[in-house]
Amino acid sequence: MTIGVKEVKLERTAADQIFLPAILEGLVTTARHFFRNTFGKGQPGIDTIRYGEPDVRTEDYYPDRYRGVHRLMYREDGTVRCVACMCCSTVCPAKCIYIEAEDRHDDEEKAPRLFVIDELKCVVCGLCVEACPCDAIRMDTKTHMTAVETREEAVLSKIDLLKRGAPSVAVQGGLGPDYRKLQPDRDPRFPGA
Amino acid sequence: MIDGQEVTVRKGTNVLEAAKLLGKDISHFCYHPGLSIAASCRQCLVEIEKAPKLTPSCQAIVADGMVVHTDSPRVQEARRQMLEFTLKNHPVDCPICDKAGECILQRHYMDHDHRLSRVDVPKVRKAKHKDIGREIVLDQERCILCSRCVRFCEEVPKTAELGMMFRGDREILDIDDNRRLDNPYSLNVVDICPVGALTSKDFRFKIRAWELHATATTCNGCATGCAIELHHKDTRAYRIVPRLDPDVNSYWMCDAGRMTYKELDPDLRIHHARVDGETAPLAEAIAEAARRLRGKRTAVVYSAVETTEANLALAEVAKVLDATEFLARRPEGEVDDLLQDADKNPNLRGARRAAPDASDHMDQLALEIAGAAYEAVVFLGGLAPLSDVARQRLSSLASVCITDRRSELSDACAIVLPAASWAEVVGSYVNRQNRLRVLRPAFPPLADRRHPADLLHHLAVALGATDVPDARAHARALAEAYESDELRALVDAAEDVRPPLLRWAHMRG
Ligand code: SF4
Ligand code: SF4
Ligand code: SF4
Ligand code: SF4
Ligand code: FES
Repeated sequence: MTIGVKEVKLERTAADQIFLPAILEGLVTTARHFFRNTFGKGQPGIDTIRYGEPDVRTEDYYPDRYRGVHRLMYREDGTVRCVACMCCSTVCPAKCIYIEAEDRHDDEEKAPRLFVIDELKCVVCGLCVEACPCDAIRMDTKTHMTAVETREEAVLSKIDLLKRGAPSVAVQGGLGPDYRKLQPDRDPRFPGA
Repeated sequence: MIDGQEVTVRKGTNVLEAAKLLGKDISHFCYHPGLSIAASCRQCLVEIEKAPKLTPSCQAIVADGMVVHTDSPRVQEARRQMLEFTLKNHPVDCPICDKAGECILQRHYMDHDHRLSRVDVPKVRKAKHKDIGREIVLDQERCILCSRCVRFCEEVPKTAELGMMFRGDREILDIDDNRRLDNPYSLNVVDICPVGALTSKDFRFKIRAWELHATATTCNGCATGCAIELHHKDTRAYRIVPRLDPDVNSYWMCDAGRMTYKELDPDLRIHHARVDGETAPLAEAIAEAARRLRGKRTAVVYSAVETTEANLALAEVAKVLDATEFLARRPEGEVDDLLQDADKNPNLRGARRAAPDASDHMDQLALEIAGAAYEAVVFLGGLAPLSDVARQRLSSLASVCITDRRSELSDACAIVLPAASWAEVVGSYVNRQNRLRVLRPAFPPLADRRHPADLLHHLAVALGATDVPDARAHARALAEAYESDELRALVDAAEDVRPPLLRWAHMRG
């Protein structure tokens, strides 16, 4: 196969070249929405969020699956659920999660000694939540990273992440004791169950 | 005849190994080529024509005219059921299990089962982290009772610490209350355990197996020179595991050798050249060393721990300087009739090859330095045991130390040149069997570090020698002398080959 060059001509009229008509057109659209939303009834189905005003909470507006700032969940006894399995840091495409493990010296065995997320590097893909086998990391805070003055402030430590956290009692290991009741016909190995 | 393919094997080979020759991996837990056959896990069942039942392939010896099916639906179903049975009381705590990523149970589950758990009763709980020895932690829940570790302790170090207790779903692997798994080869059980039941205290929770790269190289712990794999991430080493070499170490290595990776800790290393305590650019340091050494009464100290290449390069320098020769080595240590050699130097024979006439009397060197018999000394490695008086004298002499990490000796010398460690060079040792053992670089030497043989090559050139070979030329000559294809291929390889990630390199065990 040979590689050739195909010339494509861009059709640009004089109006395109001076840009002004396009800019004006944009301004008109913006102004139309501005007046309609401020004085009129607004567009059906689109709310204007008065973001930043004291009584406005983004949590009330964002959908449930919105990916916000990370948080770490804890167990009923208050210790972090994360077991430092490194699944999230392995899958993270931005490589912005850094974890160091330690021994808990109990039957749960492993916990993170360090757990750091650099929110500036994070591309908010949500893969870390997807990968976590322990329901330890979540992005359901419905808040986004606020503006910070130094980079260090955007690097969240285990404590920062746990402060946003909440207790989780999710169980691991398939469907658990109710397997037969929950999935009677999913599995041909249990015909009558 | 296996799955329609004809195969001829040596007498006494089992079906499992014969299938491996055809590139068919029959799943198995309890079979290990270095141990006796237990045939207890039944994960390796195959269908042999004319046999009444499915047969464990690890135990079935190949016979004339045997027809085997390793992949028929009946075999697959049997293996899946066996696997589900194995998993019945397994805690599946892979997130906190050190074996995850290189676990044979995980692999077989992905290959054979890949279904949801049907367990709807509480699993049997057993001891979760039992400290059973100097290096080992046991998790009885994860144990799949394959008895590999039991057979290892009985057959290899012949100490038989471990055993099975109780029966049925209460069966556990355990150790006598008044015994500890403390034999010098104990960490091998961590490698052969197909699951994460036996874990190494040293490696525990340090890093996940799938993050590691594996470089095949040689242990520098003693004159045996076991074949090893160095597992590392970027330029940090995390552990050493044995690699199969039937002529030297079979599947095993000793615990002491596994800990030698700790010398690679960047905090202990020398990164830049130093002249009289000040950091200096490498080229200037070498020129300064040459200027100070020229025309002096010199002693050179070879090292039985460094590669043959480095020692040969030092011999070139000694020739230029017409120096008196000494050979430094580690003191003797633990010995047994398995692998550990009393001679703790990986390369005594290689160093002797480079310097046949070097004197072993380091105490004499110390006396002579203290008595100002030399104006200059060149040390290869930081090993030489000198008296305090001699060490204090060194800073006022033209003393040059070529070493990869800080030591009392390097602190005492006037000029220190930063050498690459054994994990960063192409090099070779000669072990106690007079075999050439090859060192492969795991990662490139950072900062100013260079192959010690190259540093010495530059030093010899700066001293006015012409036509001195560099590290590569020495290695090539050694490859020819010992007819080592391994080293030859390594020297001729265009540029560094990036070692494979453990997760692509195939799981261990
Ligand atoms: S959201 Fe994506 S980029 Fe951000 S931490 Fe998680 S995995 Fe990494
Ligand atoms: S995946 Fe979950 S449990 Fe694992 S390290 Fe990340 S947050 Fe912790
Ligand atoms: S501890 Fe490991 S090697 Fe020993 S019997 Fe259990 S699974 Fe097998
Ligand atoms: S026996 Fe010697 S060479 Fe082998 S692993 Fe142990 S220390 Fe290293
Ligand atoms: S490997 Fe054959 S029975 Fe276990």
